[in-house]
Amino acid sequence: MTSRKLSAFIDAIARGRRPKRFRADAEDVEVLRAAVELRAARPGDAQPTAAFTEGLFRRLSEQAKQQERTPIRTASRPRARTAWLVAAAAAVLVGGTAAATAALTSPAPTHSAVQVPQGSALRTGTFLTAGGQVLGQIVAYRGSPSWVFMQVDVPNYNGSIKCTLQVDDGSTVAFGTFTVKAGTGQFSKSIGSVDVGHLRGAKLVTSTGSSVAAATFAA
Amino acid sequence: MVSGGGVPYLRVVDDDVYTDWESVYRDNIDRLYRLMYARVGNRPDAEDLTSEVFSTALPPMRLSSSKGEVRAYLLVTAKTVLASHWRRRLGQPVTAIDLDTDIRYLSEPSGPEPPSDAPARAGKILGGLPERYRRILELRFLEACSIKEAAQAMQISVSNAKVLQHRALRMAANLAVELEL
Repeated sequence: MTSRKLSAFIDAIARGRRPKRFRADAEDVEVLRAAVELRAARPGDAQPTAAFTEGLFRRLSEQAKQQERTPIRTASRPRARTAWLVAAAAAVLVGGTAAATAALTSPAPTHSAVQVPQGSALRTGTFLTAGGQVLGQIVAYRGSPSWVFMQVDVPNYNGSIKCTLQVDDGSTVAFGTFTVKAGTGQFSKSIGSVDVGHLRGAKLVTSTGSSVAAATFAA
Repeated sequence: MVSGGGVPYLRVVDDDVYTDWESVYRDNIDRLYRLMYARVGNRPDAEDLTSEVFSTALPPMRLSSSKGEVRAYLLVTAKTVLASHWRRRLGQPVTAIDLDTDIRYLSEPSGPEPPSDAPARAGKILGGLPERYRRILELRFLEACSIKEAAQAMQISVSNAKVLQHRALRMAANLAVELEL
């Protein structure tokens, strides 16, 4: 079954079509990557069409207008800060349609109101299981206060997940617990006085203490 | 003049900024699409992911940031969008965006010649394959032939063409690893 799906995926790539999703094996990754790289070398499709660029521009313009029409509530400073931090986290962490929608509809941020997170202000890591499967991502943002955001996909899991952070001297900072529903969970929290630059990684365990995944922050 | 032995902490002011979000879009849309296309290898997905990056990144963007900062922000967003795409599509990270090396996609002048190194990488891989392996992959991936058309061009059966393609891709994948491409 997997072999047929792998062949169908490669055939779609070769024909320049959108391939269907399937659960790939780790040993298929190199073959899939080779197929993608060979197809990407074909001249022609590497340039966007005018129809796409203009169509996307119209959609984004309409979204921007809708956002500007949305009444901006008078918010206290902490509330405004929370809103834009969540928007920034959504931008760098989730990157999905839901995140895009959330960012576009958040009341506080506007196109000119929120600071672009700079490279040195962000640190990212990927949650991996002991077997190397990617479960999600974590982003640490250096600010005042600093924050950590995470998003995980744990297939077929419903329940609480405890996250702990490790700093570079090896000590563990107790962090917090969040709930995963239908396999998906998100969590954000201030890390107080912990220096983002000294974070080494994060670990996720279930309520029974079973290891779920670990992430190491990129340097 | 610094008094008391202190070290002056100066921030370089970059006046090379975008004037509005449309200029952010116009200056980076082609670049981001090329990067996404190089990482997914098909137009429909490249268009969707490019759209996702802009939809996610533009609303919270501050225009007083320099162009370099805006591009770095777009690249970070693109990295997470691509990672989520592969997690949803295959459950495996087939390709990724490197924040250090792939910034060139966004920082080099936008023109008819994309900064993609895909042709050079493909050339190295294909150049290391036996003739029949190289030919089947050229027909399928570079000349966009169907498996039937490729079989006819090589005067072999369709089933043989499928087997040949499978073996050729396996060897190409191993070669890419050996060449550290």
